[in-house]
Amino acid sequence: MDESPFQIDTRGEFSFPENHRFDAGYGLTEETIDYICDAKGEPDWLREFRKDALRKFNEMPMPTHWAPEGINDLDFDKIRYYLAHGTAPYKDWDEVPDDVKRTFERLGVPEQERAFLAGVDAQYDSETAYNNMREELSKKGVIFVNSTEGLKEYEHIFRPWFGKVIPVTDNKFSALNHAAFSGGSFIYVPKGVKLEQPLQAYFRINSESMGQFERTLIIADEGAELMYMEGCTAPKYDSATLHSGVVELVALKGAKIQYVTVQNWATNVYNLVIQRGLAMEDAEIRWIDCNIGSGLTMKYPAVVLKGRRARGEVVSISLAHDGQLQDTGARMIHAAPETTSNIVAKSISIGRGRASYRGEVNVLKGMKGCRNSTECDALLINPASRTDTYPAISVHGNASAVQHEASVSQVDEEMLFYLQQRGLTRAQSMSLAVNGFINDLVKEFPMEYSVELRRLIDLEMEDSVG
Amino acid sequence: MEEAFALAEAEAKLRTALQESTTRFETAQLPNKLNEDWRYGSPNKFATALADVLQSSDCSQGRATVTHDNGAAVAVSKDDEDLLQTEMLMPSIGSDALLGMHLARFGEGYVLYIEESTKEPICLHYEAEGVYTPSTFIMVAPGVKAHVIEHHEGHGENATLFVTRNIQVAEGAELHVELRSSGAARYMCITNIQNMGGKVNHFTGHAAHQWGREETVAEIYSSAEGTSVELYSANKLSGNSVLDQHTKQIHHVGGAYSNLLYKNVVDDHATAIFAGNIRVEEGAHQTDAYQANRNLLLSEKAGVHSLPGLEILADRVRCSHGSASSPVDEETLFYLCSRGIPRNEAYEQISSGFLNDAYQRFARGTEGESSVE
Repeated sequence: MDESPFQIDTRGEFSFPENHRFDAGYGLTEETIDYICDAKGEPDWLREFRKDALRKFNEMPMPTHWAPEGINDLDFDKIRYYLAHGTAPYKDWDEVPDDVKRTFERLGVPEQERAFLAGVDAQYDSETAYNNMREELSKKGVIFVNSTEGLKEYEHIFRPWFGKVIPVTDNKFSALNHAAFSGGSFIYVPKGVKLEQPLQAYFRINSESMGQFERTLIIADEGAELMYMEGCTAPKYDSATLHSGVVELVALKGAKIQYVTVQNWATNVYNLVIQRGLAMEDAEIRWIDCNIGSGLTMKYPAVVLKGRRARGEVVSISLAHDGQLQDTGARMIHAAPETTSNIVAKSISIGRGRASYRGEVNVLKGMKGCRNSTECDALLINPASRTDTYPAISVHGNASAVQHEASVSQVDEEMLFYLQQRGLTRAQSMSLAVNGFINDLVKEFPMEYSVELRRLIDLEMEDSVG
Repeated sequence: MEEAFALAEAEAKLRTALQESTTRFETAQLPNKLNEDWRYGSPNKFATALADVLQSSDCSQGRATVTHDNGAAVAVSKDDEDLLQTEMLMPSIGSDALLGMHLARFGEGYVLYIEESTKEPICLHYEAEGVYTPSTFIMVAPGVKAHVIEHHEGHGENATLFVTRNIQVAEGAELHVELRSSGAARYMCITNIQNMGGKVNHFTGHAAHQWGREETVAEIYSSAEGTSVELYSANKLSGNSVLDQHTKQIHHVGGAYSNLLYKNVVDDHATAIFAGNIRVEEGAHQTDAYQANRNLLLSEKAGVHSLPGLEILADRVRCSHGSASSPVDEETLFYLCSRGIPRNEAYEQISSGFLNDAYQRFARGTEGESSVE
């Protein structure tokens, strides 16, 4: 097996002893919120806002009428809502506490930063431990800080958009995030500024029973362009860990945002993330999403196409192994005329793994000239593997065209036989076939990520086909 | 000895199933908006109205006629326990409470015991002036080829027609059923097809109901060679009408084939809803199952909701689904207009050609078989 060019530990199955200055304990109550607000020194309006969100969270029902059953096992009282070393991130790598530094060094963060990134935000449990951006970018007016700093220093930009793309009452988990959020990034790219190199966030859960509620807001002003990448890992514990982030993107007129996620949480992690982007006139938002880890993932990146000729795209790969349910998909809301969207989703189910596609495409009343194309393909590796597809497509009016296609297939035995005959092992042949299946999507990822992705898939296949 | 044991076991299973179904109807709630099977179907408006009508009127306000049955048809009797049991075990797609109400009114409609191949189609006709809730049972014996045409017709503002249909096809049998329904204020049709190793070719065409709901569940229990289910539907909706169609293709065992094609032309303020599901159960390997929903939107206020679905728990299967909704192709329209056909007529031709495709596929299956004879 080829080694990664960065020698990165992509699985992240290691942990360090806990050493937190702040620990809000188990469960989420008004006291927990007070603790978080005091620790972070937040203004009163935010404290009230959080408490209001908590009340809404308690009132709202779980989405049990459609969600996968596994979500019922989630116990909100057995989660720790705030764990942090400190509340302000270090700007210099040398200052980062040793255990945190060792964690990220093992995960390859500093090398990646030097090699090809414009900026890095590394979150360790509840708070950002390290945040840095190249100097020339801040001179151009680019802002890349964690959400706490964003709200403090740039309230005039942050607050008007805060909770506007994903409102508090959108669903129970949105309310939960609004009540308990900490960490995550705030990015603002000024008019016309185009970032040539990507910005990266790295999310790491180190502690047991941790709940990570990061909050990310990215605003690309008129004509601006950026790519943002996030990676996620956690060690495996016996108790459940919850990752429930909220990511809001705002692409103003003519702006372009690409958001890349490679998620490789441990299998005790509930990964329930809400990602939604607002695309104004001529803007473009692309979600490139790869889900390999976690026990239950429920994640449907969405684009609300709010301005004329806006464009949305979701490219999604998911891989479900034994005991994993990847319930992923996409949502496209065509709320302006002449908007276009594209969804390509591929899933692979291995062993007793289950991969589901759940999506929504909605062309609202009165919209003309909208187009959507959706393609979902599923690959089943073993007899007990499962795959589902649950799209919902609504079209109003006689001036828009929408199409959806899905297929399910297996790796062709003859192909495997042919490859094995040429001297490859069965696992290698399978891995080659699987890589072929997702090849056109992997190309969409930045080079460094696509190399990693292939390696991850090789590793997964090695375990499953013997 | 073994046979007796198997029989006893089957009876025990049936008893349990019946007990379960009793609790099922006792605990069933009327469809509400949190019921996923009624997503987009406005349950609070339509299901509630249907329930009200079913409860308020206990007398039957319709009639059933049957022709060309060749002695195969028997009127459903209230006291026929076997039939009642069959109806109790019927699956619904989110409408247990409504099915329970239908059960309470059991005792109308026809049973077709088809034991000989038919040349002419058997015609079954239900007409409703007020509330009418007949049940159809079609049982096709092994090796028999049958053709049935059903008409469900409503007359007037008060016509509520709610039909349940149980179709059982034995090994080597072949059944072609064509269902045409029209004109009801409220129309509901719950169909359960049980395929024990034969061929089923099923067509529905619904027209001019104010509100119509179709639930069709096709279950395949045999991997005998040639076992297949084909489901077709072609509907033209106009005015304010709503058509809510739900289907399930369930493959309990492998090796069989199922295909579905549902087409709608939606005009004026009408809304078409399609929610389909292919379920391939664990171990049902080597299944071929397909599903397609196509919609043509003719007006600015027309709406379509399409929810095709797949649940695959087996391996070595070939499954796909597709859904497409679009307006009439401008180029096709231009071509017809340039040949001197007025625009309105061109629309008419394109939409009837679009729908006819589904019917032709059904008819080809029907004719193809009869020409072999």
